[in-house]
Amino acid sequence: MREAKPSRPPVRRARRALIPYLLTFPGVLWLALFFAAPLVFTLLFTFYEGSLDFGYSFTSSWPSTYLEAFRQYDTQIVRSLIYGVIVTVATLVISYPMMYWIAMRGGRRKNLYLLLILLPFFTPFLIRTLSWQFVLADEGILLGTLKNVGILSDDFRLLATPVAVLSGVTYNFLPFMALPLYVALEKLDLALLDAAADLYSSKTQAFLKVTLPLSLPGVFAGSLLTFIPTVGDFIDSQLLGGTNTTMIGNVVVRELLVNGDYPTGTALSFILIAGILIGVFFYARALGTEELTG
Amino acid sequence: MNRDEELKRLLGPAPRRPITRRDALRRLGIGAGGMSVAAFLAACGVSGEAESDKEAAAPDELTTTKSNGELNFANWPAYIDKAGGGSPTLDEFEKATGISVGYKEVISDNLEFYATIREPLASDQATQWDLIVVTDWLINKMATLGYLEELDHSKIPNFRANAGAIHKSPSYDPDNTHSVPWQSGITGIAYNTDLTGGDITSVEAFFDPEFKGKVSMLTEMRDTMGLTLLGMGIKPEDATIEDARAAQEKLIEQRDSGILRQYNGNNYLQGLVAGDFAVCMAWSGDVIGKTFSANPKIKFSVPDEGGLLFTDCMAIPQDAVNPIDAMEMMNFVYQPDIAAQMVAWINYISPVPAAQSILQKAKDSYTKQVADSPLVFPTPDMESNLYNYKNFSIEEEEEWNDLFNEVLSG
Repeated sequence: MREAKPSRPPVRRARRALIPYLLTFPGVLWLALFFAAPLVFTLLFTFYEGSLDFGYSFTSSWPSTYLEAFRQYDTQIVRSLIYGVIVTVATLVISYPMMYWIAMRGGRRKNLYLLLILLPFFTPFLIRTLSWQFVLADEGILLGTLKNVGILSDDFRLLATPVAVLSGVTYNFLPFMALPLYVALEKLDLALLDAAADLYSSKTQAFLKVTLPLSLPGVFAGSLLTFIPTVGDFIDSQLLGGTNTTMIGNVVVRELLVNGDYPTGTALSFILIAGILIGVFFYARALGTEELTG
Repeated sequence: MNRDEELKRLLGPAPRRPITRRDALRRLGIGAGGMSVAAFLAACGVSGEAESDKEAAAPDELTTTKSNGELNFANWPAYIDKAGGGSPTLDEFEKATGISVGYKEVISDNLEFYATIREPLASDQATQWDLIVVTDWLINKMATLGYLEELDHSKIPNFRANAGAIHKSPSYDPDNTHSVPWQSGITGIAYNTDLTGGDITSVEAFFDPEFKGKVSMLTEMRDTMGLTLLGMGIKPEDATIEDARAAQEKLIEQRDSGILRQYNGNNYLQGLVAGDFAVCMAWSGDVIGKTFSANPKIKFSVPDEGGLLFTDCMAIPQDAVNPIDAMEMMNFVYQPDIAAQMVAWINYISPVPAAQSILQKAKDSYTKQVADSPLVFPTPDMESNLYNYKNFSIEEEEEWNDLFNEVLSG
C-alpha cells in the first residue's frame, strides 16, 4: 500500500495536464470540421483540372492554374485590395469621432446611441444595398431633385461608379469598425487623462499620447473586421457598380456558379487569402500590436 | 379570373432565366453553405472518373413501360399558371390521369440545377426527378452526354399535332428526340421611351453614343454575344471563334467608351423604369407584362437584325423512375386549352399556336393583349427574324466563355 501511494500524484498530474486539451477539444473539433476541412477540400480543388461535365482529375500542372488565374484577373485582385484599404480608412475616419463621442460624452444614453448606430443593420444586407439603388438612381429622389434644381448636370450619375461601390461597402461595414473602437475607447481609464492634464499636457497632446495609443487595439481589430470582408465583397459591386468596378468576389462567383470552373475559382480564393494575409501581416507590424504578430 | 389578373399584376411577369444576378445573390446570400457543399461534394465524388466514353453511351431502355401514377417534376419558379395556392393545369392533370404530381420549383439557374443532378447521372443512377425543364443549350449538352432518355413520341401525340413549326425538330435537339418545349422567349431590346424619345429597332442602339451611360447588357454569354453577332450580320449558329473575337472587341469598346453602364441579370427592369437605363438587352416575358399592365413607356422590340429565340424544354433524365408519367405530362400540356391557360399567366411564347385563338375569345383586356402580341404568339414575319443560340462543343463553350469573361470583368 505504502509503495503504491507515490505513484498516484504523477497520474493525477498527467490527468490535470490533459484538462486544458480536453476543454479545447470542442473548439478544436469545431474548427477542424467547419474551417480546416472545407479549406483543405477547397485547396485540393486547385490541384485539379477539368469541367463540370467531364469531371475533375488531378493535374501536375496546377501551378499554371494559379498563374493563369492571377494573370487573367490581376486587375480585379489589386482593385479589391485597394478598395479594402480605402474602405478601412473611410470607416475609421467616420466612426472614430462618433465612437469617441459616445464613449466619452455619451453619459447615460451610451447604449441608446449605440443602438441607433446599429439599428439600420437589423435590415438584411441585401435589402440595404438595394435601397441604395433607389436612393441613388439617376432620376431618383436625391439626384433627380438636384438635377431639377440645376445643381447637377443631367448626365451626372453615382450608380455604376467606383464612388457608389466604395460608399456602399463603407456603409455596410461601418459597424465592424465602430464596435471594436467603442470597446477600446469605453474601457479607457479616464484617470489617465486627468493625470496627463496634471502633467501639463494640452488636450491634443493627451489625445495623441494617451487616448490614441490605448485605442489602437480597437483600431486594429476593427481594421481586420472591415478589410477582410471588404476585399471579398461582391454584392455592392454587383448592385451599385458598373463596368469598371468588378471586384475579385464577382469573378469568383462567376467562375464557380456560372462557368463551373472550380479550379480557377478556388485558386483565386487562395490567391486572395494570401494577399490578405500579407497585407494584414505588414499592417500588424506597422501598428506594433505585438500580441497579434507574436 | 379577375382575381388572378390582379395577382398577376402584383407579382409582375413570370421570372425565368438561366443565370441571373438576383439568383446568384440569393444563392450566395442565403444558401452559401448548401451550394458550396453540394457543388464540392458532387465534384469531388467524380474526380478522376473517365467519362469521355459517355459520348458513346447508347440509349438504354426505359426503367418501365407503364405509368406508376407518380411524377416528380422540377421546374422554375412562377413558370406555371397559378390560382388560389395551386395550379389549375396541375390539378386538371391529376384529375384527368390519376397521376399525382410532386411539382417543385427548384430550378433558378440551369447550371446550378445541373450540378445537383450531374453526379447521379454521371454514375448511371436515377436522379430524384422524372421531368425537368431546362434551357435548350443544356438539353443539347445533356443529350450529348447521354443524360436524357429518348422520348417515345407515340405517347406524346399532342406534340406532333399541336406544336408550332419553330418548335419542331429544333437544332439543339433534332427530331425532338430528347425533349419537347415548355415555353420559349425572345432576347431583344427593352427601352424606356421617356429617355429614347422614340422606338428602338436596331442592335446598334446598344452601341449608340447618344445613350452613353444608359445601356444595360445581359450577363448571359449566349445572349449578349448572340445579339451582338446578329447586329454584325452574323447568325450566332454559324459564328466562328473569329466572329466571337470580333464581337468581343466590339463589346470591350462599348464598355471602355462608357456607353455601357452595366451588365445585368434579370434585375434590369427596376433600372429601366427608374430611368437609369434607356436601352436594355432583355427577355420578352419580363417586359411584356409591364407594358400591358401599368407602364406603357416601357417597351420591348425584336431588333431588325434579328432576335434570339431561347426555349426551355421538358426532358426526362436518364433512368428516371416514372418516365411514362413524364410523357403523359408532356402530352397533356400540348392540348391547346391547357397551353392557353398556361401562357395567359406566364407571358412567354407558347409552343402551341392554337392557344392564341382560344385566348382571343377572352373578355378581359389583359388576356386579349397577350393573345394579340406577336411576342407571345410570333407571326411568321417575327418567326423568320428569330435565331437560335449557337450549339457549342465543350471546348468551344470554354473558349467563348473565356472571351466573354474578359468583357464582363472590366
